Amino acid sequence: MFKKIIDAIDRRIELLDLFRQNLSEYPVPAGLNIWYSMGAVLLALFCLEIITGILLLMNYVPHAKEAFASVGYISGVVPFGWLIRRVHAIGANMFVFVLFLHMLSVLLMGSYKKPREMTWVVGCVIFGVTLTTCLSGYLLPWSQLSYWATTVATNSPGSIPVVGDWMVQFMRGSDLVSQRTLGRFFAMHVSLIPFTLLLLIGAHVFLMRRTGISTPPWSKTDKTIPFYPHFVVEDLKVIYFFLAILFAFVFFYPQISFPPDALVPADPLNTPEHIKPEWYFLANYQLLKLVPNEFLGIIVQGLAAGLIFFLPFIDRNNERAAWKRPIFGPLAVFGILAYIALIIWGHYS
Amino acid sequence: MDENISRRSFLTKLIGVVFGATGILFAAPVVKYLIPKSSEGGENIFTNADGKPILENEIKEGASFTGLSRSGPTIIIRRGGKLRALSAVCTHLGCLVKWVPNEDVFFCPCHAGKFDVNGANISGPPPVPLAAYNVETANDGRILLS
Ligand code: FES
Repeated sequence: MFKKIIDAIDRRIELLDLFRQNLSEYPVPAGLNIWYSMGAVLLALFCLEIITGILLLMNYVPHAKEAFASVGYISGVVPFGWLIRRVHAIGANMFVFVLFLHMLSVLLMGSYKKPREMTWVVGCVIFGVTLTTCLSGYLLPWSQLSYWATTVATNSPGSIPVVGDWMVQFMRGSDLVSQRTLGRFFAMHVSLIPFTLLLLIGAHVFLMRRTGISTPPWSKTDKTIPFYPHFVVEDLKVIYFFLAILFAFVFFYPQISFPPDALVPADPLNTPEHIKPEWYFLANYQLLKLVPNEFLGIIVQGLAAGLIFFLPFIDRNNERAAWKRPIFGPLAVFGILAYIALIIWGHYS
Repeated sequence: MDENISRRSFLTKLIGVVFGATGILFAAPVVKYLIPKSSEGGENIFTNADGKPILENEIKEGASFTGLSRSGPTIIIRRGGKLRALSAVCTHLGCLVKWVPNEDVFFCPCHAGKFDVNGANISGPPPVPLAAYNVETANDGRILLS
């Protein structure tokens, strides 16, 4: 019966042909390692964020007077609301973390080089949009932590000459973080950004399919395996590994995403002590503190971001493996270590 | 043939113009919608978070009160009987300062910036002083700032 329906559909629109071309007979290089599954992990986490996000949306109220209570209602009263919320919050952290790993492996294995420059550039945009998603989502619970972390984060462009103040005001929709900010961030977080991300991810995957998957620089074989089911199984192993870590945090250490200041409603007239941004903004935060002039700090960050974005056009060397390159290799490693050091320093300072 | 080509290029341009004009027509109100409204005129009264005016006699000698004025969060302290009003927004990254009476400083909890009683930045990352306001008391005890 089921087969008959499938056959009937297939006779009309030739779906199985697409399936064969793109999945079961689509060859991928045999020498791929787990680093090539990070994209699949990200895709899985993205779906998880969308699903949990839609569920949260059913009970969340985007108003300064009610947001905090509605989030409390989700975690405390709605059956399994706590689970949905924790998965959404900690899953977002995991998404950023895996995104870092993904970019790191592409960087060290030189996969951004010709002909994959555009894939890298789109990937960088995805990274930027992801951070915006995190920032906007962070405000929504309207806790002390979200209020003041957002205040500090949206204040930093203020030091840019001429347009700085205007930019801060535009982001917030008012002079201070207020209901208008919440409205803006809410609209961005639940509609504008998810659609943008979806488009960008589509473009990223499309580009990857057009250029083909890169092979590790050390791989010698020309052998291929079919994407489905062989490589899908490899992907699934890595996806479940990360899901296991995610749920370990969700069940046994949720405090990682919910420190004490996250449990107090926002008070616009009282700044709590020790306000720090999330770990993925700590390096930027620490750098801003270290550089005496704030505007200079922003310029340094802009330059670093530009360097990463345009990397494929700056670095045109044919050797892909970073560890075989006497200048690029140490530079890349130094950059990564400096970044991690700034995060740790920011955390303990 | 030639006629076909010129027809084709005319239609291409036409589509471009129609799309362009529609885009501009739609964009104008959207941009207006997104630009924040600036705060309106009128008296600049010092209030609590709910907009209720704070009366002059509610702030005791040596104490401080953080409230709102048209310029945003504002802190008022009373020293030697006189009220002194400053912006409470730290000039570093916008956290709110607190008055520490036994040290005679305004302290910012975010990155430990300090300001003296006149609002001058004396230590930590803040680059410039806190803005100071003139204080007047209305007959009914409300506090007016300018
Ligand atoms: S925000 Fe006040 S010292 Fe940084």
